[in-house]
Amino acid sequence: DSHIQYERVGADVTMKCGSMDWDAAVTWTANGTDIDESHLNGSYLILKNVDLSQSGQYSCYEGSSWHLKYQTYLKVGTPPKEPVLMCRSNNYPKGFYCSWHLPTPTYIPNTFNISVIHGTKDMVCEKDAVPKNRCHIRYLQLFSTVKYKVTLTVTNALGKNYTAVTFDEFAIVKPDPPESVVAKPVPNNPRRLEVSWQNPSSWPDPESFPLKFFLRYRPLILDQWQHVELSDGTSHTITDAYAGKEYIIQVAAKDNDIGTWSDWSVAVHATPWTEEPKHLTTEAQITETTSTSTSSFMAPPTTKICDKGAVVGSGAVAVCWTAGLVVAAYSVLFI
Amino acid sequence: MAAADSPSTALRRRDLCSRGIRLAGKMRADVVDLLDTYVEQQGLDASATVAAVEGVPLAAVERWDEQTGTQRLLENLAAYRAFRALLAQMLEEQREQLGEADAGLGRALAAVLLQVSAFAYHLEELLRLESRGVPGEEGDGPPPPPRLSLFEQKLRGLGVLRELAQWAVRSARDLRQLAKPSPATGTAPGLAESP
Repeated sequence: DSHIQYERVGADVTMKCGSMDWDAAVTWTANGTDIDESHLNGSYLILKNVDLSQSGQYSCYEGSSWHLKYQTYLKVGTPPKEPVLMCRSNNYPKGFYCSWHLPTPTYIPNTFNISVIHGTKDMVCEKDAVPKNRCHIRYLQLFSTVKYKVTLTVTNALGKNYTAVTFDEFAIVKPDPPESVVAKPVPNNPRRLEVSWQNPSSWPDPESFPLKFFLRYRPLILDQWQHVELSDGTSHTITDAYAGKEYIIQVAAKDNDIGTWSDWSVAVHATPWTEEPKHLTTEAQITETTSTSTSSFMAPPTTKICDKGAVVGSGAVAVCWTAGLVVAAYSVLFI
Repeated sequence: MAAADSPSTALRRRDLCSRGIRLAGKMRADVVDLLDTYVEQQGLDASATVAAVEGVPLAAVERWDEQTGTQRLLENLAAYRAFRALLAQMLEEQREQLGEADAGLGRALAAVLLQVSAFAYHLEELLRLESRGVPGEEGDGPPPPPRLSLFEQKLRGLGVLRELAQWAVRSARDLRQLAKPSPATGTAPGLAESP
């Protein structure tokens, strides 16, 4: 007969060779490898202070005949710690889901049991096939002030533990991030970027349950974000972008009335439209490239020394117009 | 079956719905602020569970998405009429209890009462637009409830405000449903049914 034996990390384990007497001559193997006699007490196998690496198949053979007398699978593990449980509604008003995990692995199989109570009413949380540690519930009532209590119990062969969360219907509403975020330059507008996105596909009824959005953007060269909150629509034009600078842009969503903000969407990058560089520049362009920015943030001075349009020459001899002018001015002085 | 809406009726309904949604939003924000003030000034625990109080209309509803437009309007109207009476009672009790000590709380209660009355009127307008007829308010109302202790009054007040905050959210949702054009007839969903 094959058995499974669960033992805690650090425990001392004694294995009997089935019905063999204590003084019988036996050989023990672990995963097919003979175990040294120093671990035997008579025919008993003694494993002290077991660790995870000692999990495996242990077999006991009668000394002379090599008949298999006993076999067991030793699984070394730990009792479960308090599980981490989270519930969220990303598809309001259809329902919500709860997901859980253990803070540290137990290394042995665990069973999870979840119960949901709304007031005094028991509700069934249907387990998802994928991922395994998740279940979902359909709302039977909306707009209730009565709280939900979700209790999760985790059990394994070495012990059990549990946790519970209590919340009201509105508090757990958190949409998924907006999808398909696109940012494009606007032709002939060096300071604009057009951003558009879509409602998360998991949000079932954006018409009756509209979302509002939060846009954040910054040039890659700066750390500070600009923020814009938008109460409707799924597009926005940024009008204060730094000319020629690559931007990173993200969007988040929230139900108009309840719940919390989604995580940030996947980031998109875009650079505002710039004019094609010309070989000869006019006085007006020199003035434009050397004037100070009118935005609320000032770019670090080093990024403003050489704007694309002010460079003359090519290869190793490219010289900025502004630097060139200064040099020319000094040259004139010394002629 | 009622005839399809005239364009002016549809426009008026959409206008009343959008204004109602804004009213509900403002009302909710003010009720949430009032709740914080109320809890603090009445010395209550914000996380206290208050059992359903008789006479306080519960916002909780099953099969909300299946409700007709008329049902939504009638349930909303009944609720806000009840809140109008409850808030008036709370204001009266608050004045008796504390006199001038909590003038701020009294003003906030009065402001919310005004918004509740305005919203009830708004709902009556929507019902009139649907030629549904506005249900009359019960003559003298229900008999006055038994006198509660001071603590019971405070707890009931907490229950009233919490439920009102839920209703304000529900009402905005209800009005958005009402404002949706029905794909087949062009009327609002649930309103083009026989009386």
